[in-house]
Amino acid sequence: MNIASTIFSNLLAGDPREGRTLWLPPQDSNLAVNSDLMFWWINMICYFFFVGIVIALVILVVKYRMKKDRPFRTDGPLHHLPLETTWAVVPLFIVIFIFYFGFRDYLNFMTPPKNSYEIAVTAQKWGWLFKYPNGATSDDLYVPTGRPVKLSMRSSDVLHCCYIPDFRVKKDLVPGRYSYLWFQTDNVTPEGWGHNLFCAEYCGTGHSNMNRKVYALAQPEFDTWLTAQSQWLDKIPEEELYFRAGPKLYARCQQCHSLDGTKGIGPSWKGLWARVSGGEGGDGKFVDGTGYQSQIGAGKQYQTPEDYIRASILNPGEHVVAGYANAMPSFKGQLNDKGIDAVIGFMKHVDEFDTKGKYLKEVPPAPKVSMK
Amino acid sequence: MTTINISQPLDTAARPDNYITHTRGFMSWALTLDHKRIGVMYLVSVLSSFFVGGVFAMLVRTELLTPGQTIPGVTADVYNHFFTLHGAIMVFLVIIPSIPAALGNFVMPIMLGAKDVAFPRLNLFSYYLWIFGALFTVSSLLLGGFDTGWTFYTPYSTTTPAGGVIPALTGVFILGFSSIFTGLNFIVTVHKLRPPGMTWFRMPLFLWAIYATAIIQVLATPVLGITLLLLIVERAFNIGIFDPSMGGDPVLFQHFFWFYSHPAVYIMILPAMGIISELISVHAHRHIFGYRFIALSSIAIAIFSFLVWGHHMFISGQSPLLNTLFSLISFSVAIPSAVKVFNWMSTLYKGNIVLNTPMLYALAFLVLFTIGGLTGIHLATLNTDVHLHDTYFVVAHFHYVMMGSALIGMIGGLHHWWPKITGRMYNENLGRIGCIIVFIGFNVTFFTQFFLGSQGMPRRYYDYQPEYQIYHVISTIGSYIMASGFFLTAYYLLASLFGGARAPANPWGGRSLEWQCASPPPFDNFATQPRVGDCYDFSAIRWDDKEQGYVVDPALDPTTNPRLAAKNSH
Repeated sequence: MNIASTIFSNLLAGDPREGRTLWLPPQDSNLAVNSDLMFWWINMICYFFFVGIVIALVILVVKYRMKKDRPFRTDGPLHHLPLETTWAVVPLFIVIFIFYFGFRDYLNFMTPPKNSYEIAVTAQKWGWLFKYPNGATSDDLYVPTGRPVKLSMRSSDVLHCCYIPDFRVKKDLVPGRYSYLWFQTDNVTPEGWGHNLFCAEYCGTGHSNMNRKVYALAQPEFDTWLTAQSQWLDKIPEEELYFRAGPKLYARCQQCHSLDGTKGIGPSWKGLWARVSGGEGGDGKFVDGTGYQSQIGAGKQYQTPEDYIRASILNPGEHVVAGYANAMPSFKGQLNDKGIDAVIGFMKHVDEFDTKGKYLKEVPPAPKVSMK
Repeated sequence: MTTINISQPLDTAARPDNYITHTRGFMSWALTLDHKRIGVMYLVSVLSSFFVGGVFAMLVRTELLTPGQTIPGVTADVYNHFFTLHGAIMVFLVIIPSIPAALGNFVMPIMLGAKDVAFPRLNLFSYYLWIFGALFTVSSLLLGGFDTGWTFYTPYSTTTPAGGVIPALTGVFILGFSSIFTGLNFIVTVHKLRPPGMTWFRMPLFLWAIYATAIIQVLATPVLGITLLLLIVERAFNIGIFDPSMGGDPVLFQHFFWFYSHPAVYIMILPAMGIISELISVHAHRHIFGYRFIALSSIAIAIFSFLVWGHHMFISGQSPLLNTLFSLISFSVAIPSAVKVFNWMSTLYKGNIVLNTPMLYALAFLVLFTIGGLTGIHLATLNTDVHLHDTYFVVAHFHYVMMGSALIGMIGGLHHWWPKITGRMYNENLGRIGCIIVFIGFNVTFFTQFFLGSQGMPRRYYDYQPEYQIYHVISTIGSYIMASGFFLTAYYLLASLFGGARAPANPWGGRSLEWQCASPPPFDNFATQPRVGDCYDFSAIRWDDKEQGYVVDPALDPTTNPRLAAKNSH
């Protein structure tokens, strides 16, 4: 087992932490300790029974092989009540013990402490948004160490599931309900590395890429990060929004909207602005058969192309483009006015970015606040 | 006992007329009411579906060789269709009907000494429902496919743009009725067609298992039917039942779905357990140990199966109280399962074991079912399940139970009854080699996935973190080994049809009634109703060189020798 353990742990490369075993990743939360202890005990019981059964099988098969020139032996017992009762009752006691300890620890998992630091989590196809008490938001999860953290989670479309293997926690996000998850980690995440956060409930095309990192920071560093994070958009001047904030915000759109003209789950942003503003590239159609120009323009439903984009971000089902399903979730409450401005600016200047959303020109220096 | 007079029972002489040659032509099969022909048609259909489901499994495993795209053209969406079809085909078209509808149909009436099942027309109707259900399910491929996973979880399944969801749901709905009618037919058959002398506790254990399965089929499948109908209604007419944006409740769907689909796990495993009882006892030539405990544990499992569905939902937002109760009840399934395993092992004690292909499959079952059952403890325990739920640990666990146990049991049974069904013997050495290759390949594929899951890899992932790759590579190599084992098996079984030795009536030394008629059985199974004794009493069985099979020695047979009957009764 040690050899296997070495093989597999070395192959899980790039992880600066110690403590990975053959079966489990390192323990990075308070809940991991008991969960792993339980796992270890169950494993021991499994090894015991499995090895016992296999050895017994081998002995029985070898010893009672049929001999060609010997008549059938018929002296085997037909039943044995005490023996059979024993192997019905003994496993019963074992599993009741296992149940009890698993239950006790599960109650702990289900009961977030009162003084927990609460982070609001919204999941949608196929990304996460973490919102902190001071209004800051982030795509990766940042948590303070040394105190319980409670995730208050909801989904805005289908089922998702928040799973952080290193913390041994997992909970479904159900549309129309809130669900909670809590943990406490005391280990600061090593520099340049992050814990995985997976979506564990199948949710379609981008399911396997709906994963993010978790960074645990000591309280002072966390506070600094949080302040900077809450202000990053506000500190950017309007005219610089599209190339400073645009690419960062586009990261949440790129799963569905390409920049190189490829048709994705949603329309590509290449040439989008020209299409909606009636410029070069011509008109487009909505699902209901009407053309863009019959809906966008003075006196029509959308006074300006900007109004249309804004409406599409906040209420995507209102006018779906022909050839696409009504698949986009609403970003209401996730993007403020300045964020929407940044996205619209990004669309207007889409030629200034490469197909991955990287700004092609040189970014002028002097961002006032560091953006991690 | 003066002279030992070895004579054959009445019906074992191979007759020129058997169920295969009795009538000829396509229509004589398409409209047959003969349970044996219907069983064979099921067998061919199920094995073809197994091939199709297996192709999708190989595509899934190959795609997972590297993170991101491996096979050109297989995008995340295509992959999602692959694993959905693999799951749906294997569950609804292969494992659920495999043992009861295919092998059960063929063997059960003969085991009862009957000429057919209780309702032969209903039996044929079930088969055609299966065909229609399969056509609907597969036709969904042409109509845009479905990418919901075999579980159809809402609201994804009601909102996905994939066009084939409704045809697939309709297909599974129809398959459900096929299953219900088969179950109903078998319940009545066991109740009404047992021969004189065959009391409940004298039935072969395979029949107990089929009977327990039939009860679950009849009681649980309607719930699936109603659920799928509600899903169709929601998807087609936007009536909010499960989708919260229309006032529905997605967790309700999970309750409905697992209320069927957990018992369905036992629809899959119970008949396999029944087969194992037959295989171990016949190929160890030894009276089954603890008959009553094994028989009653089948019924216990059938009852418990209805009370544990919530263990699929420990982290889905179900209340902690329910989770606690479901965890506790789930553990109770361990008891009858443990009883069965220990009783099978005790059957080997002081036996006369022959390590031929069916016996190897039975031993493989014991090992794989032990692993599958024990790892169920990790998942039934509340706190460890939080970590393991929806990871590859679960994938590995249920493949050990559904494939390593249910399907291996089915293949063992296929080898056991192959001489009876086809009248031909397959190549025994190739059979053993095939079994060992499948066993090795299976463990390489799926044991690796336990590590993958406990290290945190979620299931249904098209793309994954590069650190998990080594496990995926090992697992995929295992799946190729396993596939080669299955191809070998298919080869020698098909070859036996053309060049195999003629099978004797009783090639293994079985004592239940199907071994008392010719191989293949005549059209009407038995000319006269056979006498029934203890179907696990092997004391009167003798090898006969002339017959190249086993025969019953009447002088030692309690059913024909009343003196012995009094002595042996228990």
